[in-house]
Amino acid sequence: MLKRFDAIDPTVRKESLYIASVTGILSLLLQAGFLVARHWDYTVLLGNLLGGVTAAGNFFLMGITVQKAVAKEKKPAADLMKFSQTVRLLLQLVVAVLGFALPCFNGYAVIIPLFFPRIGIMIRPFIKGKE
Amino acid sequence: MLELAIGIILGCCALGAGAAMIAGIGPGIGEGNAVAAACEAIGRQPESKGDVTSTMLMGCAVAETTGLYALVIAILLIFVAPRMLVNILMDAVGK
Repeated sequence: MLKRFDAIDPTVRKESLYIASVTGILSLLLQAGFLVARHWDYTVLLGNLLGGVTAAGNFFLMGITVQKAVAKEKKPAADLMKFSQTVRLLLQLVVAVLGFALPCFNGYAVIIPLFFPRIGIMIRPFIKGKE
Repeated sequence: MLELAIGIILGCCALGAGAAMIAGIGPGIGEGNAVAAACEAIGRQPESKGDVTSTMLMGCAVAETTGLYALVIAILLIFVAPRMLVNILMDAVGK
């Protein structure tokens, strides 16, 4: 298990950790938003957990794929990336459908965290500028 | 007649969701091209691997958001829009 963790590129580990942190912080803000709007119940928490884990996991899987792809030739690397993107998009589709179909999840609380990595990337230059 | 109208609404929502998911193809192609170019760059300058990987990761995540927008539109068209449109129709016909 430890050996597998060591095999992960330090860049991928660092960026995944950053995205996971941003997703966590924004998830807390989302919970606060639902609380303020008086729409909070356990389905929001469960939905947020599902969406947040999916968003961070998707980024991590993408990082692992990129790490594997850059060690290949041009054509196999492009093919691997296309395949990975399709599979990850389908996974997210399944998660979103589960979020809306199952009554124990709030659909909107599942969907919104999927965009948190994008927000994390958007605010990254400001954070990097302060470092 | 009402059943036909509801059927058309549901059918159009399903067609729209399917059409929206066509946008999911784009990010895959874009990411593939980006990774291929990154492979070339790393092959030319192996010492810049960390920087290239980091920049590409962020670029790929941004590109993927386009697919996510399509996914959200498709999900809303399947789960939210039909109920809303059928309710509007029912209000219009007074049922």
